[in-house]
Amino acid sequence: MHIFKLLKTFLQVNIQMSLAYRADTVVNMLLNLMWLGWELLSLSIIFANTNTLGGWGPGELITLLGVFRMVNTLMSAFIWPNTEKFNASVRDGSFDYNLLMPVDSMFLVTFSRITVWRAWEMLLAIGLLVSGISISRDLISLPGFLGFLLLVISGMLIIYSLWIVLIALTFWFTKFDNNVTILQALMDAGRYPISVYPVWLRIIVTFIIPIGVATTIPVQALRGELAGPQVLLFAGVGVIGFWLASRVWRAGVKRYSGASS
Amino acid sequence: MSDDVIQVESLSKTYKVSEREAGFGAAMRSFFRRKFKDVEAVKRVSFNIQPGEIVGFLGPNGAGKTTTLKMLSGLLNPTEGRAHVLGFTPWELKPAYLRSMTLVMGQRNRLSWDIPAADSFLLNQAIYRIPDDEYKTTLKELDDLLELGPLLKKPVRNLSLGERMKCEIAAGLLHRPKVLFLDEPTIGLDITGQARIREFLREYNHRTGATILLTSHYMADVTALCERIIIIHHGQLKYDGGLANLSRRIAPFKLIGVLLAEPAAYSLAHYGTPVENEEDADKHYIQVPAGDVAGITARMLAELPIHDITIADPPIETVIERAFNE
Repeated sequence: MHIFKLLKTFLQVNIQMSLAYRADTVVNMLLNLMWLGWELLSLSIIFANTNTLGGWGPGELITLLGVFRMVNTLMSAFIWPNTEKFNASVRDGSFDYNLLMPVDSMFLVTFSRITVWRAWEMLLAIGLLVSGISISRDLISLPGFLGFLLLVISGMLIIYSLWIVLIALTFWFTKFDNNVTILQALMDAGRYPISVYPVWLRIIVTFIIPIGVATTIPVQALRGELAGPQVLLFAGVGVIGFWLASRVWRAGVKRYSGASS
Repeated sequence: MSDDVIQVESLSKTYKVSEREAGFGAAMRSFFRRKFKDVEAVKRVSFNIQPGEIVGFLGPNGAGKTTTLKMLSGLLNPTEGRAHVLGFTPWELKPAYLRSMTLVMGQRNRLSWDIPAADSFLLNQAIYRIPDDEYKTTLKELDDLLELGPLLKKPVRNLSLGERMKCEIAAGLLHRPKVLFLDEPTIGLDITGQARIREFLREYNHRTGATILLTSHYMADVTALCERIIIIHHGQLKYDGGLANLSRRIAPFKLIGVLLAEPAAYSLAHYGTPVENEEDADKHYIQVPAGDVAGITARMLAELPIHDITIADPPIETVIERAFNE
């Protein structure tokens, strides 16, 4: 498979790039461990005073934190570095070379930069997931777990699609470096379960800004709160979102080649 | 004509550019209601290029050279007109087309700054699906011609401009393109650097039979490489033909240089228009119509105490400058 061979080469090249900045890598890994400690500490403070948060117990919250961190890690590993590269390449014109490569431009824009040491964070996130799930394993059924997996993937697809749309906007508004900031702001809303927010904000977080979809909803499926059709509906939203995003991307590229000079 | 590699037929490109007067008020007005102006960058340009040709694409800044190259490589959609390169319509960006052409822009980087060029090359190998043995042969050949050797192992940010350009060109040629679009490939390089790239392009064209269309600000690039040139100005095609013919058509005059026994005693002005010639400062030069060279030379030899006489073509820079201003 050509795609996998390409990914492997991208990964190799990126490992070499991050090896060029050793100190940076080590500091980042340590900082990340501190953040995790801080997050677990805040959770333990909350649960010292109450048994549930918006109806969620400690195991479920740890699972939620795990999903949140996993999504965040994937974003830090792929989305942020590639956004930076994309914005710079549109500004200095080297994006032209991307378009002239015999590979899908959306693929190149997604994978050409990979912050490799984030793999470490991924391990931490998976650790959280596993321990969260095992703490609340009595509450979990097999269909719930499968729904959870499906919705985690669909949630990531939704965030990815949102990102593609945001960066594609650059083709229309040449100066649009804020695209990263907007997504980051949206992401931070996913750290706590949607139900801690007031209803109006919950609606925004779920429907207008689908970050909650990527974090809370999978865990809801895990808790068995969602019926089968609902799970499929949310999964479908991911697929449709991705399709729409790639349409927007194509239109953007077309616009770029119609207007740039 | 069907064996032409590049066919361009009344290709036009019009940009919409927002414009405003200088000043704060105008900036505010333009924020709310933007005015657009159409700029015709390329106007109905047509030409054909045969396999293996090296064609120089000339014109002053803003003439439409880069816009044309971008359309031919597929980056820009034209407003009107047609183009076929290797049988493809470039802006459809078909992978088969992208694999058989290259665009090298002297002012843009394709290589990553933080890693050695060799690693970026591997990326290109994967992207262009170049088989290992073919990749090795091509890289060796490029290494022979460009003397890349040690450069490939250094991070690109540590290379000099000339070294980087060599690597950029090599990166653009790894997939053995049949058509090369080169936009100012020697820009910013010193004389030796320019000469090396030029030498390389000639040899590459010779070995592979690739077709090359290049723009350059350095006339030496053009005179050394191109038998044929295309001149555009204000988006319009001004000239398409041999370099030698250009002088005949645009500047049908010759230079006569004489070394006189007593320069101060004679005026050359009534034989022709006196001109400076920096390359040969000892002699006094005049410019005369090409058809009158024989007669004027005979008169000068009879009437003046001449030690030495030369008859030369006007420098190509002068000719091209004239062509731009015509």
